[in-house]
Amino acid sequence: MGWETWIIATLSRTLAYGTPLLLGTLGEIYAERSGVLNLGVEGMMIMGAYAGFSTAYTTGSPWLGIIVAALVGGAFSLIHAFASITLKANQVVSGLALTMLGLGLSGVLGRSWGGKPLPVSVPEITVPGLSKIPFLGPILFEGQNLLVYLTILLVPLLWYILYRTRIGIIIRSVGENPATADSLGINVGRVRYLCVVVGGILAGAAGGYLSVAYRPAWTEGMTAGMGWIVIALTIFAFWNPALGMVGAYLFAALYHLSFRLQPWVSPELLHAMPYAFAIFVLVLVSRGTLQKKMGAPAALTLPYTRGEG
Amino acid sequence: MRTKVVLVILLVMAVVFSLASVAMAKEYVPGEPLKVGFVYVGPISDYGWTFAHDEARLICMDAFPWLETVYVESVPEGDEPLVIDKFIQEEGCHVVFTTSFGFIDGTVAAAQRYPDKIFFHCSGYLRNPNMATYMADFYQIYYLNGLIAGALTKSNKLGYVGAFPIPELKRHISAFAIGAREVNPDAEVHVRWINSWVDPVAAKEAAEALIADGCDVFAFTEDTAAVVQVAADKGLLSFGHYSPMYVFSPEYCVSGQIAHWEAIYLDFLEKIYSGKYTAHNLQDVDYWWLLQEKAVEMGADKGMIINPAYEDQLKGIYVDDPVFGKISVYDLVMTRLRQMADPGVTFDPFQGPLYDRKGILRVLEDCTLSVSGMTTMQWAVEGIVGPWAGEP
Repeated sequence: MGWETWIIATLSRTLAYGTPLLLGTLGEIYAERSGVLNLGVEGMMIMGAYAGFSTAYTTGSPWLGIIVAALVGGAFSLIHAFASITLKANQVVSGLALTMLGLGLSGVLGRSWGGKPLPVSVPEITVPGLSKIPFLGPILFEGQNLLVYLTILLVPLLWYILYRTRIGIIIRSVGENPATADSLGINVGRVRYLCVVVGGILAGAAGGYLSVAYRPAWTEGMTAGMGWIVIALTIFAFWNPALGMVGAYLFAALYHLSFRLQPWVSPELLHAMPYAFAIFVLVLVSRGTLQKKMGAPAALTLPYTRGEG
Repeated sequence: MRTKVVLVILLVMAVVFSLASVAMAKEYVPGEPLKVGFVYVGPISDYGWTFAHDEARLICMDAFPWLETVYVESVPEGDEPLVIDKFIQEEGCHVVFTTSFGFIDGTVAAAQRYPDKIFFHCSGYLRNPNMATYMADFYQIYYLNGLIAGALTKSNKLGYVGAFPIPELKRHISAFAIGAREVNPDAEVHVRWINSWVDPVAAKEAAEALIADGCDVFAFTEDTAAVVQVAADKGLLSFGHYSPMYVFSPEYCVSGQIAHWEAIYLDFLEKIYSGKYTAHNLQDVDYWWLLQEKAVEMGADKGMIINPAYEDQLKGIYVDDPVFGKISVYDLVMTRLRQMADPGVTFDPFQGPLYDRKGILRVLEDCTLSVSGMTTMQWAVEGIVGPWAGEP
C-alpha cells in the first residue's frame, strides 16, 4: 500500500476523531481565558453524549440531538459556574465534582439506552467535484459530516473574537487581572459565567458528536477520558484557538496511528504515545519562562472578590 | 475529648459487626428461600458481558419463586471485598457470584472468611470447599464464525479488534483463524488491541485502522457494538459478540456469539436449593460450559444462526473436506455446529497436529487441547498477524 493512501487514511481519521477534541478544547480555552479552570469537561461531554443520543433516538432528528447535547452541556456547566464564581469554591474541586456527577448521572439516566442503534445519524457527506481533487479530496471532502466542517469554521471565528474584538479583550482582561477589569466597570462574574457556559455548550456538543454522529450509540462512560485530553490540549494550545486546532489534530493523528502501527510497534507503547505527547508538552509549557511568554491567564483558578484582588 | 469520641465510634462499630456476624453465621438450609448477590465488573447497560450476566439473573428470578437477588454493578477490580462483605453482613446473602476474573483474590479471601457461605467465581481457576468456578466459553463459535469469514472475505484479510491480550482472547482469535483457514488457506486474521473492555471510541478507531489496512470481515472481543457499527457503515461484514448485534447491522452482521449464563446459573441455584451443592463440596466444581450445555449460542440474533441474507451465498461456496468430501460452507458450518452442540461432542477446533505461528508443535496428532491448555493459552496459530503480548 502506497504512502499516499496511508496519509489520506490517517488525515481523514484525524478529522473525524479530532473534532470532539477540538470542540471541547475551544470551549475550555474560553473558560480558562476568563480565569475559570473547569475540570468538568469529561462530565459535561458525557452528559451531552447521553442527552444527544436520547433526544436523537426519541425524535428521529440527529441535529436536534446535537443541539440538545450542547444545551445540556451548557446547563450542566452552570453548576461549576455557580460553585466557583458565585460561591467562590475551589475550582479544582468543583470541576472534579462536575465530572463525577456527569459520569454517574448519565450512567443512571442512560441505563435503558445501551444496546440501541440510532435509526438516523448525522449524514456523512461527499462533496461532488471537490472530492475528486487528488489527495485533498478524499481527506477533506469524502465521508466527513457537517459537524467536522462547522468545528473547523469555529476556530477562526473564536480566534477572531478572542484577539480582535472588544469582547475578546474583556474576556482576556478578566482572566488576567479581574480587579482592573472590575474597576473599569466590567462585570467580572457575568463574563466568567458566560465563558464557562460557552465551554459547557461546546463540550456538550462534543459529546453529542460522539453519540449521534461518530458512533452512533450510547454506552455508559463512552467518552473514556476524552475530557481529560481536552484539558491537556488547552494548555498545549497556550489558550489559543488556532494552536488548539493544531494540538487536537496532532493528538488525533497519533491516536489513529497507535492502532495503525501495531504490527510493528508494541501496542502498549503506542497507546502511551498520545498521552506521552500530552505530558511532554505540559512539562514544556510549565517551564516558567515559556509560560510567561505564551501567557497562561494570570488569574486562572483564582476566584474574584471585589476589594481582595 | 477526641479520643473519647473515637472510642465510642469503635465500640459502636464492634457491636454492629458482632451482631452482624451472629446474623450471618447460620448456614443455608436447603428448601428455604435463598438470597444471592451478584458482583458485576461493568454497568448492566453495557450490552456486553455484564448485560448478559444480568439477563441471566433476571431469568433465574422468573424461574425460581424462592429466589431473591441483589447486585452491585461497575465494581472496580480490587473493591470486591467491600461488596461481598456488604452482601453477606448487611443483605444476608448465602450465595455470591463474582463475575470477573479480576475478582479472584477477593473471592478466595471471602470464601475463607465466610466458610459457611457459597461463592462462585467466573472465569477463574482457584477453588475452595465453598467456592466453585464457571465459564461459558465461545471458542467453538469463534471457529464456526471463522469458517464463514474465511469463505466470504474477498481481500483474505479478516480484522479482529481485541480488548486485552489474555488467554481467553488468544484462544478465541486462534479458533477464529483455524476456522477461516480451514476453508481458505490464504486467509489472515489481523489483530489490533485497544487495552480496554469498554471503550467504543478506541474500538471504532481500531476497526478504522484495520479497514485502512484492507480488512473486509470483522470479529472482535470488546463490550460494545462499535466494531459492528463501523463495518456496517462501510458495507463490510461482521460477527456480533456477546449480545445479539443483528439490530446494529441487519444487512452486514452475518453471525456471532451470544452468551446464555442462565444455563449455568439455573443449574447452580437449583442444586443449592435442593441441597446438592453445599458450602463443603465445591472444591472440584468447575463449569466449563459450551455449545453442548447451551451456555452459548451461535447467531447474529437469538435463534438466527446465520443471517438469511448470506445463506445462499454460503451454500454456493464449496470446499474439499478430508472427511465429508465436497461440501458447501453452509453445510460444513451446520455439520460442525451439530458435532459440537449434540450430546457427545465429536469435534473440537483445537485438533492436533496444531502448530503455532512460530512453527512449534502445540497440540499433538490425535489429541485436542485440554481445558487447562485453553485457559492458559499464550501462543497464536498460523495466519494471525499482529502483536501478541506474552507470546512464548
